[in-house]
Amino acid sequence: MAVSMDLPATAELVAERKARRAVVEDRFFYGLTLASATFVVIMLLGVMVALIVGAWPALSTFGPAFIITERWNPVKEIFGALAPIYGTIVTSLIAMVIGIPVSFGIAIFLTELCPQPLRRPIGIAIELLAGIPSIIYGLWGFFILAPFLQTTIQPFLIATLGNVPVIGILFGGAPYGIGLFTAGIVLAIMVLPFITSITRDVFLTVPVMLRESAYGLGMTTWEVVRSIVIPYSRIGLVGGIMLGLGRALGETMAVTFVIGNSHNISASLLAPATTISATIANEFSEATGDLYTSSLIALGLILFVITFGVLAIAKWLLARTAIKV
Amino acid sequence: MASYARRRASNTIALSLSMVATVIGLFFLAAILVTLLLRGGLAISPKIFAENTPPPGSDGGLLNAIFGSLAMTALAVVFATPIGILAGTYLTEYSRGSKLGEVAKFINDILLSAPSIIIGLFIYTLLVVPFGHFSAWAGAAALGLIALPVINRTTQDMLGLVPNSLREAAAALGTPKWKTMTHVIYRAARSGILTGVLLAIARVTGETAPLLFTALNNQFWSTDLGAPMANLPVVIFQFAMSPYDDWQRLAWGGALIITVAILALNIVARLLSNIGTSK
Repeated sequence: MAVSMDLPATAELVAERKARRAVVEDRFFYGLTLASATFVVIMLLGVMVALIVGAWPALSTFGPAFIITERWNPVKEIFGALAPIYGTIVTSLIAMVIGIPVSFGIAIFLTELCPQPLRRPIGIAIELLAGIPSIIYGLWGFFILAPFLQTTIQPFLIATLGNVPVIGILFGGAPYGIGLFTAGIVLAIMVLPFITSITRDVFLTVPVMLRESAYGLGMTTWEVVRSIVIPYSRIGLVGGIMLGLGRALGETMAVTFVIGNSHNISASLLAPATTISATIANEFSEATGDLYTSSLIALGLILFVITFGVLAIAKWLLARTAIKV
Repeated sequence: MASYARRRASNTIALSLSMVATVIGLFFLAAILVTLLLRGGLAISPKIFAENTPPPGSDGGLLNAIFGSLAMTALAVVFATPIGILAGTYLTEYSRGSKLGEVAKFINDILLSAPSIIIGLFIYTLLVVPFGHFSAWAGAAALGLIALPVINRTTQDMLGLVPNSLREAAAALGTPKWKTMTHVIYRAARSGILTGVLLAIARVTGETAPLLFTALNNQFWSTDLGAPMANLPVVIFQFAMSPYDDWQRLAWGGALIITVAILALNIVARLLSNIGTSK
């Protein structure tokens, strides 16, 4: 009798202990996942703190003038960020001016024109461009594209657009091969896959009903794209563009190869220049003196703030569309 | 309203331009790959996998750089995979509606596209300055921080695809949550998570900028993780910018090796995710 009374009690005890252990294990597992997620947030805060602390000597020495000073003189230890900031913005703008229409064209082709069996292969081929590491773009840009531009396109631009009043100043000087223009073209190729794949995805979110109604009214394919598809998906398009811009602003190795690393701001787009990331990559390991290193980290801080802003806007815009990026 | 003929004409022009755009995109992909094959192919020989990086003007290979890249990538993935998967788990399974979840998702997506050179600067101030010298540890840490958001994000996406009925069935059997995750959900999402890890490896394999001020470079064979270590991207950068023909040739060889490895990883990852979603 006593035994049979005990048995269920023991079984209950075991079950209870098991349940209690499961609660503890569950808490532990939850704690692990929570810690990992928090790690991501702390990492970003850590990046910010590290950059601000590292940049402090330069920022306190030069003050806000750091951003608007063109001089970059490691010998006299006078540093200003204007030339790299200018180069970063101009190369990214050139990349956008070339990259956006081409990306939109590819997306229109893929969604409206391309025969079904070819859509996936062509889409994948364009996306493979995103997989090629930036150093390969740099290598290719430096050894193949730059000499080609120097002997063909650039002399042509100088001879034609260079003589046009007002905008001629943008295409003056000698054809160096390397410089803002070449860097902009390399960046344009690099942002193509990013803008294209988002543009294609937002184009595909347009309801079939809208498209077919428009075709039913007798619109041509181009009219449907221009008056229905693009207006419907414009928020996502801007988001995709901002994402591409974020990439272009922070791109390092590809630009470092072809930018020419010159701290002078010159009016011509064909002249050698520098960008924030190229300056850091080129000079960091040679930087002697705390102020020099600190100025380079301050450049990094500026880049971080700019790209963070652009990417946050992109993320915010794309979150308002139905696509998953 | 414009006449029918004019509308037809503008339609033809616009659509032809879109075709031209596609041809331009494919042309650049082909141009880069052909250049790599031609120039890199000339440099590929058994020697490249058997000898270390040479001093200028003499013959050699890339053995120490290939080893360094593999070692640092492996360390980075070992570090980033568990944290990435666990963080992704929190963000899909636990964080519903929590502020931390929202913020962490947002920040992770920003880090996904953030310039890698910034990560390099961060690790430099964290792991290089305090110890006073460059090291493979620092390089691996920088690569790990770049791989982490990729793994985190794919884990989120893949766990989101696992049907809720599986979670409910496990819960109905009285399975503890952690067992449900490790024994049921991770298994269901296995190929997807593996895809994420492969994509992360592909992403960090070509990263150059963050290694410039963390692992730096080493001309010699080194397995010391506390010392600077050679790695393919930085070697390619230094050799390509040098005036020596031998070095430039090796740079192209290294570029071909890296690109083939990355494209192969990308294609395997794609095939894997197709298998995963078609099941």
